[in-house]
This record gives sequence, structure tokens and C-alpha cells, in this order.
Amino acid sequence: MLLNAVIIILREVIEASLLISIFMAFCQTYNVSRRWLILALAIGLSTAALYAVNISIVSQWLDGVGQEVINASIHIMVYLVLLVFLTLAMTIKTGRNRPLIMLVMLIGVTFASIREGSEIILYIHGFVGIPELLPPVLMGGVIGAGIGLSVGVLFYYLLVNLSSKHGAQLGILLCLCVAGGMILQATQLLSQADWIASQYPLWDTSMWINERSVIGQLLYALVGYEATPMPIQVISYISALSLMIMSAAFSYIHSSRPQS
Amino acid sequence: MSRYLLLTVLTLFSHSLLAATPIIEIEIRDHLFYPAEITIPADTKIKLIIINTDNAAEEFESYEMNREKVIPAGSKGVVFIGPLRAGEYPFFGEFFPKTAQGKVIVK
Repeated sequence: MLLNAVIIILREVIEASLLISIFMAFCQTYNVSRRWLILALAIGLSTAALYAVNISIVSQWLDGVGQEVINASIHIMVYLVLLVFLTLAMTIKTGRNRPLIMLVMLIGVTFASIREGSEIILYIHGFVGIPELLPPVLMGGVIGAGIGLSVGVLFYYLLVNLSSKHGAQLGILLCLCVAGGMILQATQLLSQADWIASQYPLWDTSMWINERSVIGQLLYALVGYEATPMPIQVISYISALSLMIMSAAFSYIHSSRPQS
Repeated sequence: MSRYLLLTVLTLFSHSLLAATPIIEIEIRDHLFYPAEITIPADTKIKLIIINTDNAAEEFESYEMNREKVIPAGSKGVVFIGPLRAGEYPFFGEFFPKTAQGKVIVK
């Protein structure tokens, strides 16, 4: 039960932790205020608690797939936030768009903490009535959260301490990883809700990296690893990331052109 | 051309309207699935209704079917599965994985 709790909480915490570390490193490098983070976490986690308390009601919405549709919307929202963030981040040296970037980061962390926070609350809450299992679950939760936050801190210091060129490259790569994971989860949820037709998997890599394994779970959290993706998931993943790269490249070229 | 298009559209819609999706109910009780094994036909979409009668939330999860859904305590949830190819597709309750185990047998 302890190991199970570690993995469940780690998987939830690591996504939000990574997103926050990318944003925090960006703020540190380009001297942007970080006060928005507290606000984002406060709104996000209190909404997460509200969502968890009302999960039974939400589940019954839309013929029983309300949960999938809301969660998929949150994932798509975080993807859009990363798309806009990366595009605006390319213009940071022009000094424009700073308040907008802060707003976008605030929205991103708020939504990520609603999604991950509600899942954690639901999980832990189930053990409140089981006194013999609560201590190992809490202990596992603390360890899982600790590892998840440490990974975030590690990436933060890596991003901040690398040369500005390599830091930016790694930052962009991490944005793409998290964004890809969001799109993959969104399409999976929409197919589970039968909002998009389920398809046979395009390939099966479970004999190389099983999704049950720790590596598989970590890759799932970091890049949205899926051993048996549907064609629509692969297409969405590639399109979503291509859009991000093109948008960022366009923004970069546009902003580095001398203003007339 | 437009006639073919119309025919295609009608075929697509009539398929989803006329072919009612079979429903299978699974109950979660004392962190166990009842029934723990269900058999479904290949290439068919199924609507699972999962009823959780426990006091704790459970997460219905299957790596093989790519499904993951929290079923709140004392509540129920809908999960669509399939179409699937013949074979066995394990599922489990992620919150209580020691006991909550089951599989979908596709024939």
C-alpha cells in the first residue's frame, strides 16, 4: 500500500511540479515577478477541493461522462497555456507582454493544480475511514510528493544554471514534453467518454516499456508515454507539438527583427 | 458525388443511432469487482457502468484498454470500452490494487 501511494502521488505531483519549475526558472532568468504563484496555488487547490467534494455530481453530468469532459478540458487548457506561454516567452527580450505572460502562467498552474490536487484529495480521502491503511498511505503520499517536488527543484536549478542558450533549449523541450502529455491524456479521456470514436492501437511497445513499470509511469507523467496509442492520439500529439514549435519560431523571428 | 457523400454521412449516423451500445454493470464492493471477469464480443463498443458501493473512492484503470476513471464512493461512473480485438484485457482498482482485480475477455 505504501509503494502504491508513493507512485500515485508522485505521478500526480510530478506534472504540476515540472510545470511550476519551468515557469519559476523563466521568472528567475528574465526577472519576472513570481508573486502570481501563491495566488495560482491558492485558487487551484481550493477549486480542487471543491471539485473533489462534488465529484459524484460532476460524474453524472453529460450522461455519466462529465468527469472525462472536464478533465480533458483542463488538459487542453494547460496545453493552450503552454502554447501561448512559449510563443510569448520568445518576445521576452522586447520587454512587451510581461503582464500577459504572468497571467498565462497563473492560469496554467491554477488548472494543473485543480486536476492533480483533486485526484490526490479523492485518493487520500478514501482512506480516512480505514485507520489501519491511513498511516502507510499518508507516509507514501509524503514520500511521493517529496520525490515529485525534488524532480521539479532539480529541473529548476538545471534550467537556471545552464547557459542561457542551453537553458532556453531545455525549457522549450520540457514545455513540449508537458504539452504533449496533456494532449495525449485529453484524447484518451475523450475516447473513454465516447466523444471521439475509439480506435485500434497504432502500435504496441508494451514489451519494451510497460506502462505498469516505474519507468513507464514516469515517462507517462513526463511525456505522456502510451504503449498502445490510437492513430488519433499520435496525430493529435504531432499536430499539437508542431503548432507549438511553429508558433514559437514565428514569434521568435518576428520579435528579433529590428523594429522600424 | 454529393449523393455518395450523403450516403456516407447517413451510414455513419445510422450506425451510431441504430446500433444501441450494449451495457454491462460492474459493482465494486469491499474493494473487489463483481463480476471480476466479463466476456464481450470482439469489435464491439461496450458501455460499462461501474457502481461503487464502498465508502472509499476507487479508480478503475486498465493499461491494456487505456482506461482510467475515478468512481466516487457510493456513486457510479460510465466507461466506454472497445471495439477491441480478441484477447484478455486486465483491469484493476488503482486505489486498492491488491484486491480489486478483474479482466475483460474479448471473444
